[in-house]
Amino acid sequence: MGLRSFIHRLTAPRITSGFIDSPVKLVLVINNDLKMGKGKIAAQAGHASVSATMKAGEKSPSTLDSWLKSGQKKVCLKTNYDDLIDLENEAKSIGIQTTRINDAGKTQIPSGSLTVIAFGPDDEEKLEQLTGHLKLL
Amino acid sequence: MSREHDGPSMALIVRKDLKLSPGKLAVQCSHAAVNCSLTAKKTEPRLMERWQSNGGRKICLAINDLESLKLLMGKSKSAGLITHLIKDAGHTELPPGTITVLGIGPAPKSSIDALTSELKPY
Repeated sequence: MGLRSFIHRLTAPRITSGFIDSPVKLVLVINNDLKMGKGKIAAQAGHASVSATMKAGEKSPSTLDSWLKSGQKKVCLKTNYDDLIDLENEAKSIGIQTTRINDAGKTQIPSGSLTVIAFGPDDEEKLEQLTGHLKLL
Repeated sequence: MSREHDGPSMALIVRKDLKLSPGKLAVQCSHAAVNCSLTAKKTEPRLMERWQSNGGRKICLAINDLESLKLLMGKSKSAGLITHLIKDAGHTELPPGTITVLGIGPAPKSSIDALTSELKPY
């Protein structure tokens, strides 16, 4: 190794710095009390994903980067309204980003209904502990 | 007409023939929505901002099969709209590489309508 590359190795930022090494995912939890059609749910999940992505871009860009680079893993679960609110509070208390989507109510359901909350993107294990008991949609 | 009706929109076009489960559908559409938004943020930040401040309108439409989906993708690209094709990684329901969803936009609602007026909501 030449002197230059040796010095470079000492001074260059580490490639892995700022990245979360463990897998990162985004969990979308649907409010199952509302009887939404499939397409409606998909659009609401889309809202939540886009908002969560943009929020993470401002607040935790390195997590977002790991998530995007690892294929933006997502999972979609369902629960009732009360449980969803509990989960939201719990997530906030342990520092997981939450993104709440209230529907504009142009179709299917009353205006302002809570349709979905996105948890993350964050460490997969952390999210698993929070939402592991929920059923897949 | 109020200006709101001309605000940008995004279309998520899903293959009907795959008969995706609701959860799978939601996840695939989310992939498309995120990819389209990230592209828009880079290439058309003003449109992106307008779209978001209008509530980030999205609609989920159904299309018969892969062939029609590809045809639509061609039209969308030649119209210069943001276009993303989503392939499933195949971890769960589908064989790897299955094309599931086409995302178009955010784009002016009139451009999206011109392409998708014949499709039905999913």
